[in-house]
Amino acid sequence: MIKAILKIGFFVAVIFLAACSGDSNPGYEFMPNMYRSPSMETYGENNINGMNALTPVKGTVARGKLKTFNYDKTLEGYLNAGNMAVNPMENTDENLADGKSLYGMFCKHCHGKTGTGDGTMRHAIYSAVPHYNDEKTIRRSGTPMSELTSGHIFHAITYGLNAMGPHASQITEEERWKIVLYVQEELQHYGLE
Amino acid sequence: MIRTYSLNSRLLFLTFFFTFSLNLFAQTDGEQIFKTNCISCHTIGGGRLIGPDLEGVTAKRNADWLKQWINSSSDFIASGDADAIAIFEEYNKVAMTSFYFEDEDMDALLAYMENPPIEEKEVATTTAENDKGMSSSTILLLIAVFLFLLVYILTSIKNKLKTQLNQPTETLSETIINQGKAFLAESRNVAIVGFAVFIIVMKFTFDTLMGVGVTTNYQPEQPIAFSHKIHAGDNGIDCNYCHSSARSSKTSGIPSANVCMNCHANITSGTNTGTAEIQKIYDAIGYDPDTRTYIEGYEQQPIKWVRIHNLPDFAYFNHSQHVTVGKLECQECHGPVQEMDVVKQESLMTMGWCINCHRETEVKMEGNDYYTSMHEKMKEKYAGQKITVDKMGGLECGKCHY
Repeated sequence: MIKAILKIGFFVAVIFLAACSGDSNPGYEFMPNMYRSPSMETYGENNINGMNALTPVKGTVARGKLKTFNYDKTLEGYLNAGNMAVNPMENTDENLADGKSLYGMFCKHCHGKTGTGDGTMRHAIYSAVPHYNDEKTIRRSGTPMSELTSGHIFHAITYGLNAMGPHASQITEEERWKIVLYVQEELQHYGLE
Repeated sequence: MIRTYSLNSRLLFLTFFFTFSLNLFAQTDGEQIFKTNCISCHTIGGGRLIGPDLEGVTAKRNADWLKQWINSSSDFIASGDADAIAIFEEYNKVAMTSFYFEDEDMDALLAYMENPPIEEKEVATTTAENDKGMSSSTILLLIAVFLFLLVYILTSIKNKLKTQLNQPTETLSETIINQGKAFLAESRNVAIVGFAVFIIVMKFTFDTLMGVGVTTNYQPEQPIAFSHKIHAGDNGIDCNYCHSSARSSKTSGIPSANVCMNCHANITSGTNTGTAEIQKIYDAIGYDPDTRTYIEGYEQQPIKWVRIHNLPDFAYFNHSQHVTVGKLECQECHGPVQEMDVVKQESLMTMGWCINCHRETEVKMEGNDYYTSMHEKMKEKYAGQKITVDKMGGLECGKCHY
């Protein structure tokens, strides 16, 4: 009897020891000096100036990042942009589809699928997101939401407005204009005659 | 006499009921209006947001002043009211939206602001989602303890019997050693144990060697207890919102703290951890959540996230090639990240795993005008077959190793 129990106990102990494995450790690497070469990794650290992720050198422009929208982050800049800035994106099906997909990535969770603040964000603040098709309340632009011009919308995406933060670091100018196109074509008159 | 009494009480009750319910309706209407129009810029008793905290504002200003301000602050400022101009200046000349509420809506709103409901602090509920039965190692441990107890009991029974028969008793350890010796005295048993040990050692060696360089299930602790489940799952934020360079660059992009601040400039308290974890973003970027301003001249600190998915440097992988050109969903390689509170590596990320996907995934040729002629040629060459990634060179060594 005791023999049998010892036998089982032995196997149980072995399996128990074998089953222990930690997930907080990535495990072994075959050849660490081939896995991690001396060249700098994108978000790594280096011993020259610390972080590898750096802001561009002053006075330089990254390829494709030339700024063509030269209005300030002020109320004046906002109103001027609203009056003067023109959307360079043509109203084509392709641009609209791009705009829709970009809107889905960067705007939809707050502004909602229909642009009436029906987003998926749960915090109480997001229950008061303005509706693009609001014709009544007069906004900072001096117009209701449904009459915002492309310059107003582009300025708001670039620099933020009220509770909305600036999105210039995530979305390129070209992409922002596509979003503006989509908002103006599809959402500003959503459900209106 | 009794009848009159009961009638009176009924009337009294009805009167009370009506007054109460009318109040109740006014309350909900005002609350509704506040929540759909005001709450993104103002709190009541929660501190400054875009505009001032509205706690006690109805005592500070009279109803008429408030009505004028809410209906059109810009007209009100233009009319030259000194208080209105002072507030406009204090809040960086940010004009408030002109709401033009109906009179009854305005009254309901003012009534709500005068008597806001006392905020009930949400008690963080610890959800026991992880308690889906015992893990296998716990069960094994319990069995081991049970067996040990059994050995102990049987040994003591045996010793009691031996004392009755006036034979020498054995301690527990002596019993185990003697029984073990007796067990191994038989050559058949030695063969069985030897074989078992051999199998276990081989399995252990095999697993260890196969696990070299494979980091599946790696789940390190991150400097901030950021939950993808809350952000991408519950709140439905698209992966690309934070990892915005996945569409256009080799790396998917770790969001810099300014992206966090797009929401967390306003949201200062989290679902799981209260203010503790969000404060770490403020410490990194230099933001004062009380005044809602960035601290000038603050020495910003990097947030040192721990990298989970890491290909060796001799393998080239490009996110935009897979996300934008290949139109893969993030989850196909990273697993259901939107359900993970703490992210772990879901896939193998070995070469065999890459190759397997390249053999199975069909090339999406629609809407790609640039390669039309090339795609036509491929359709001719592989007529009747699926055109998978490996057919256009997805298995060439030099594609990933150079």
